[in-house]
Amino acid sequence: MVLTADVHLPEESELTVPEVNLSGATLIASSFHLGKYCEQANNEFMLCRIEEDDPRKCIKEGKVVTACTMEFFRKVKKACLSEFNQYANCIDKSSGDFSLNFCRNTQGVFDKCMLDNLNLERPPFGYFTEARVHDTKRPKPRPEPKEVYPDSTPALPESADKKPARFGSRFYWMTE
Amino acid sequence: MAEACQIIRKQDLPPPGGYKPIPFKRIPAKSYFSGYAIFAGYIGITAGAMYLYHLNYKQIKKNEIEMRSAKMAIYPMLLAERDREYLKQLRRNRDAEAELMRDVPGWEVGTYYGERVYKRLPPDALVEPIFHEYYAHSDPHEWYKRAYIKLRS
Repeated sequence: MVLTADVHLPEESELTVPEVNLSGATLIASSFHLGKYCEQANNEFMLCRIEEDDPRKCIKEGKVVTACTMEFFRKVKKACLSEFNQYANCIDKSSGDFSLNFCRNTQGVFDKCMLDNLNLERPPFGYFTEARVHDTKRPKPRPEPKEVYPDSTPALPESADKKPARFGSRFYWMTE
Repeated sequence: MAEACQIIRKQDLPPPGGYKPIPFKRIPAKSYFSGYAIFAGYIGITAGAMYLYHLNYKQIKKNEIEMRSAKMAIYPMLLAERDREYLKQLRRNRDAEAELMRDVPGWEVGTYYGERVYKRLPPDALVEPIFHEYYAHSDPHEWYKRAYIKLRS
């Protein structure tokens, strides 16, 4: 494999946190409120992940995301369990790809419960597809410095005599 | 012989009163619409169908955007979970390779007898292994299951 002993890989204990053990239908059903509730953590993690392009450097942010998600689902379980179960069940069984458009009635009930109990409004249509600006304290990674080759051919001095080409242009039909 | 074959011959003649006149006159099919009406009808029906298609198209696009929005909202959580599991598996793979090549003198993990694959990268750079390397120490059945999904997605 390409991973040598020099590559730092985190220990298993560093990576073990309680994971969100939920089904796809449940996640899709809760997606809008979850994304709104954990927006800060999600944006921080995704910015880190895209900028650094290395899973090892964003483990801390990823743990925050998972912790936030767990917290969200604990709150939902406490406040709106039956409404949420009804909605997730509808999402699960109404279509093959967890489409949201067949479950507007149950969605309305769930949204109302979330708004009343957790004061969490459903984000507007297409909210998470919009581009967003995220302000972070993490320093921006430096771009890769340009390679310098010590044995490269030195360039001509600025004052070098630049005579016209002896046999004209190679592209004489285009430039002359 | 000639007497035996004698039959009454009758000349083939027109029926009495003569033949009926030959109906050579063209009888066109009954036309319900004129050409212009057909063109107008075609354009009208097409325009109506296009309008309905447009309504349906807008609805489908809206549903797609909503689904994409939902998936993008849960993507960070899924990615965080995936990253952790991936790094765990990379460590397991490296340990498995060290264990497997323990008795080979001169073997260094991740290299070919000390020769690195990517010589110009910094030593700590994480190069994601290709699919076959990632599954090299796993059960072939697991490899097959994953490859089946991978090749179809």
